[in-house]
Amino acid sequence: MAWTKWSYMDHWVTETPQGPQPPSFNRDHMDRYVKQLSALGFRGFDTFFFYLPILAGLYGSVKAFEEYLQDNGFDKITGIFSAYPYATEYTAPHVSETHDRIVADCQATIRAVEGLSVENFIVMPSTTYFQVEPVTDEKIKIMADLWNRVGRLTLEHGMRTTCHFEFWGAIRTREQLDLFFSYTDPQYVYFFCDTAQHTIAGVDPIQMFRDYRDRCTGFHFKDTHTVDTHEAYRTPPDPELMAPQVTRWFHEMGTDGGLVDFPALIREIVTSGYDGWLTVEHDKAELDGGSYAEATCVAKWYIDNVLAEAQALADQGAAR
Amino acid sequence: MKDTLRWAYALNQWNIRMDVFVRHEDQRRALKTCSALGFHHVELAAGTGRWDNLGRPEVIELNHGGPAGFLDFLHGCSVHGVSSMYWDPGQPAEEEGWAFRSTRNRDDHAAIVESAKPFADFLAAIGTEQLVVRPAGSAWLQPPLGADDVKTIGEVWNAVGKVAAAAGVGVALHYDCLSAVHSADEVGQLLAATDPALVGFALDTAELTIGGIDPVAFYAGHADRVTHVHLKDTRYADTGEEYRMPGAETTMLRGGAGRRIERWFFELGTEGGLVDVKAFVATLREHDYPGWVVVESDHGGNPAELAMLNSWYLQHELGVAKS
Repeated sequence: MAWTKWSYMDHWVTETPQGPQPPSFNRDHMDRYVKQLSALGFRGFDTFFFYLPILAGLYGSVKAFEEYLQDNGFDKITGIFSAYPYATEYTAPHVSETHDRIVADCQATIRAVEGLSVENFIVMPSTTYFQVEPVTDEKIKIMADLWNRVGRLTLEHGMRTTCHFEFWGAIRTREQLDLFFSYTDPQYVYFFCDTAQHTIAGVDPIQMFRDYRDRCTGFHFKDTHTVDTHEAYRTPPDPELMAPQVTRWFHEMGTDGGLVDFPALIREIVTSGYDGWLTVEHDKAELDGGSYAEATCVAKWYIDNVLAEAQALADQGAAR
Repeated sequence: MKDTLRWAYALNQWNIRMDVFVRHEDQRRALKTCSALGFHHVELAAGTGRWDNLGRPEVIELNHGGPAGFLDFLHGCSVHGVSSMYWDPGQPAEEEGWAFRSTRNRDDHAAIVESAKPFADFLAAIGTEQLVVRPAGSAWLQPPLGADDVKTIGEVWNAVGKVAAAAGVGVALHYDCLSAVHSADEVGQLLAATDPALVGFALDTAELTIGGIDPVAFYAGHADRVTHVHLKDTRYADTGEEYRMPGAETTMLRGGAGRRIERWFFELGTEGGLVDVKAFVATLREHDYPGWVVVESDHGGNPAELAMLNSWYLQHELGVAKS
């Protein structure tokens, strides 16, 4: 049976009378956005923590927004993404003195989704690499301590804190990832596998999933055409949009030149018995004149055709 | 819901300018978009030149090696086939020496019939059922129809219908809101002037509404002649005879003059839509309409976004299961 637990991570940009804007531009655009995702058959919705107050404003409450999703065939809001990509004197996961503030922020986000059944509290465990350099064991330990603390907190509210690593973050190599996870409590801190980010960083996402299967609570299915061989990851002020060598890091599934072996990944997922959500993410899809809508359709086509076939083969193998 | 309706999507909304829908990868992305949204057949639109490479049989063959190669191209995107192709013989084509032809001019009839043949043959070769045609040019470009004009126009479409039928393809006269054949009475005259066995009618819900004709009532009155449908909505009717303005293609349809309405065509379910889409589709179902229903966005905005909204409407408001 085809995988039905596909969710969509909200980066969308649409055309409005005031130029390209997120659909939260107004209620009408947000409604249209939900319908558009619904038409493709997505059943889960992931969004950023900073959109929650906006959604509450548009719909009356986050719960009411979720009900609108459900009216359109969705199950629920599946994940909330929280991040501190830039270190400041107030918030920097590798600086213990900022942890109370970060925990307080997380509590506010938890309150915003109280009463819902969000499964994943997705976090960037670190800020930019260059702001943490030199990345030491001790700093990784400090970051692990923070997320152990947050993980315990979110679990009390039914959400698992799950770590999403960026190619430009301070925890990026396989050795750093393993060290970070060794410092975290498997009961409180989980793994979120972003296929493109790991690939750019030179880490095999399939092997990561294989090795951290028991702690994996989700995926961002997105592709890349480029491995970072220029040390863009450590280049200030921003490797993601300002790297001189690469103007676009992320692509939807199914483009020529994509480096992620998604059929192999889906086979691995099926074989492993993982039964959680799989999330489509498009990050900066508008670069090179692209549109989020078309990128999403093309990715869903890839799911319905290429991945469905790979999954069917894996199902047959599992049945034997 | 179980019914006879077959759904397709028009690709014309992607081809907004001569140089933007040319690369096969761009076309694949559009086809995959349609497929992912449950539309496994598409309608093509005739065009001209190397960049309109889905617009003429010889150019399609140059790109794909022939009908089989073109079908392989579609199948690679999980699109099963082409429902129909729109063709306006009054639109000059480079491949035909940029000749200006008019269906109301008997001297042009032989050339029009001749130019229809490659389309009919190609469509037959790829299993397409309908050649959807513009029966007459824009009203503002010609004097009012005289007593004999509708009969003359009917003659050429009977002849084209005969050629197409020989190839196994139907011909459907598409109403548009700028056409010289404009009123319900004129449309009725044209249908009466054509052979029902050879020539059908392509009912476009938005175009009829803009032209002041109720598509639901029209279908109910002419169900036996309607062999093709374009389903789209509009928020406006042409209440001031703007279609007669010089350059109505831009002055009216692009808001260059008159009421300055820059966008006439909208997705299904649009706020303030004038087409009673649910009633129209219910009428199709009541009559067991056997033809294609082509959903069309017609240059209304981001093509993928509009296709998604149309798919949503079909699934949630019309009870069409996504295949």
